[in-house]
Amino acid sequence: MLAFIRLAIFGLIVLTVLFWLVRLYARSVRREALEEDWNEAAAEGRAETTRDTFVEAGMRDYEKSLLRKLIWLVYVLPIIVVGLIIYLMNYR
Amino acid sequence: MRYVKWGFWLVVIGFVAVFLHYNLPRHDIVRIVGTEVRRVDFGENSIFWAAPDVGTASATSRDVRFINSVRPNGKTLVFRNEDTGWGWPPYFKLDSSDLQAQAESLISTSADPIWVSVTRYGWRSRWLTIYPNAVGLKVVPGPDTRIIPWGSIIILTLLVIVLLTIRAMWRQFRQRSIDPLFEDASEAWDDAEEGAKGWFDRFIGRK
Repeated sequence: MLAFIRLAIFGLIVLTVLFWLVRLYARSVRREALEEDWNEAAAEGRAETTRDTFVEAGMRDYEKSLLRKLIWLVYVLPIIVVGLIIYLMNYR
Repeated sequence: MRYVKWGFWLVVIGFVAVFLHYNLPRHDIVRIVGTEVRRVDFGENSIFWAAPDVGTASATSRDVRFINSVRPNGKTLVFRNEDTGWGWPPYFKLDSSDLQAQAESLISTSADPIWVSVTRYGWRSRWLTIYPNAVGLKVVPGPDTRIIPWGSIIILTLLVIVLLTIRAMWRQFRQRSIDPLFEDASEAWDDAEEGAKGWFDRFIGRK
């Protein structure tokens, strides 16, 4: 039982680190895409707001998006995989 | 510098290859000739033995189940049959006793052989007295049956995906967070920047 608890705790620590890394990465990619959108618009002379306003508005939308919530799969998928392995290895 | 870099990556790749070779599941088609349980006192080779059965206490000595088998070419192959439990490698094998019963039910003679595909990880070394750990048994029609290693294919594919993701993350981090720092300071630090960043790039292998 102790070994299982140890696995669970270390597993959760690793997954939490991973979760934050993926989250920061996804946010950074999104911001870069927004900046490029604005640059393109500005080059064509149809930028309506300043760059900062445009990017911040885009990021606020992103914070509410489904895509961002999907990052929780970082926790869900490994737990499902471990459950599946336990089933396939021992109960089939 | 170039030789240091190549040497470094060669060592890393070597370690990864050995590690994967030990831990990935592989298959052997054998005929099971017997099973046994014997007491093993772990010494220098203790790293190559798995955990005690889940729920039992750990010690430096315990009974281990073995499966003795013969390959189609007549050579012998001995497996150990241990729980990996919640430890490494992550096979989460908890059913050694059941596997042993299954192995016993598949014992056959050379006159009337039952061919069994044993899924296992690990190495057999006579010098270290270590044995591959059997994690699954499946009856196959003949000794030449072709086994597709789905487990390894899936694990290696996932590993490549993870590595590419880490690389993409690192590049993004570098481009967005490290490079701007260098650019801000570049007026005062032009030479130092070239030196430090260039060395790092050469080390990682980027232009």
